[in-house]
Amino acid sequence: MKVNKIIIILFFFLLVMIPLDFFLIFKVAPTERIMGDVQRIFYLHVALASGALFAFTGVFLSSIFFLLTKKLFWDTAAYTSAEIGVLFSTLVLITGSMWARPVWNVWWTWDPRLLTTLILWFVYVGYFLLRSGISDRFKKARYSAVIGIVGFVDIPIIRFSTKWWRSIHPLVSKEGGGGLDPLMKNVMLFSMATFLVFTILLFIFRFRLARIEEKLQGLKKRMED
Amino acid sequence: MKFMRNAIAILRKDVLLEIRGKESLSLMLFLSLLFLVIFNFALDIDKDNISSLAPGILWVIFTFSGILGMGRTSMAERDEEAYLSVIFSPASAESFYIGKVLSNFLFLILMEGFTLLLFAILFDFEKIIGLLPKLAPSLFLGTLGFSLVGTLFSFLATASRHGEVLMPFLYLPIVIPIILGGVSSMSIILNENLVEGTGKWLQILVIFDILYLSLSLLLFRYLIEE
Repeated sequence: MKVNKIIIILFFFLLVMIPLDFFLIFKVAPTERIMGDVQRIFYLHVALASGALFAFTGVFLSSIFFLLTKKLFWDTAAYTSAEIGVLFSTLVLITGSMWARPVWNVWWTWDPRLLTTLILWFVYVGYFLLRSGISDRFKKARYSAVIGIVGFVDIPIIRFSTKWWRSIHPLVSKEGGGGLDPLMKNVMLFSMATFLVFTILLFIFRFRLARIEEKLQGLKKRMED
Repeated sequence: MKFMRNAIAILRKDVLLEIRGKESLSLMLFLSLLFLVIFNFALDIDKDNISSLAPGILWVIFTFSGILGMGRTSMAERDEEAYLSVIFSPASAESFYIGKVLSNFLFLILMEGFTLLLFAILFDFEKIIGLLPKLAPSLFLGTLGFSLVGTLFSFLATASRHGEVLMPFLYLPIVIPIILGGVSSMSIILNENLVEGTGKWLQILVIFDILYLSLSLLLFRYLIEE
């Protein structure tokens, strides 16, 4: 029961990290001079975005492993990560919108980063649409693995091509030091770490659930036969 | 060489099917005409704004007529599982894919030429025909990208219960760089006053095409093995 031990350790980590993260965000991090308190959304926004990217990278790698090994284990890993990625990127879009309204005076703008996130969101929603339409388990896994790979590879090109417009998205990490206060930066890093642990724990839970569901499906089928 | 011969055989088969059945290209041409009529109502097009509206209108038509056409040619393979006979033949899956890309590319290019001609006639915009040599590189590269991704995805989409309806959901987000590159380079050429060149957009299109050609060649095999 090695996995259980990992879950318990991660869970207790989070029990401390999440309240501490919120304490840091609301009490320790300095208030931004121009934007005011609304800037604090940023700590969640960036942390969620890194969680989403982490999850989508997981989809990409699991899809490759599936095509190489043909083990359904990897397909389960791919679609459970995709679920988490879609959830997180939805939250990224929502928190970003909430921040943009007071700061940019619009809910949405056609900035490369926003556009890339939205397109990514579309790709993985399409991933689930495809899955829902194929009943054969192996076929479903093979076909969605292709989407998982093709969609992920598209990210740099989309970023590249949409960048020709002037970007207004704040750059947090620039080459040669960022424009961010050191304290803010540390809070952000802590927040990212918290969400990374959260993503991993969420993944383990979801993955185990999916495996149990599959086992149940298999048993049902055997009973019918 | 055998690889290319197999691909050409697939291309030849699709062209023959088209000549006899008139199922995909003719539908695409008809849809393009319909789109042009609808755009005429939807947008107030006149002499002053036509140069700035044309790239958007044309590339939207290219994209959507293309989706329909490529969906049709894939459905033809799915019908009675015709593609299975290709799998059992000694021809490789990759040559089958390249053959389909070639036939889709040919149909798309014909549809685009037809749409451009109709656009020039219906909206009194003969200038665009004169500029064709300048437009050709981006049209060629963009259409190649469309058919590379479209062939892969239409084959994916038609396997699903949702069928061709699923195709735009998978295809459109991925080809956004092509639409961006195509529209931008066309509007640079049509509105010559713009200083920037089309070079960087062509670069994006070339990178896109190379990337998706290699990815599809790697992945297509997994779509048709049973």
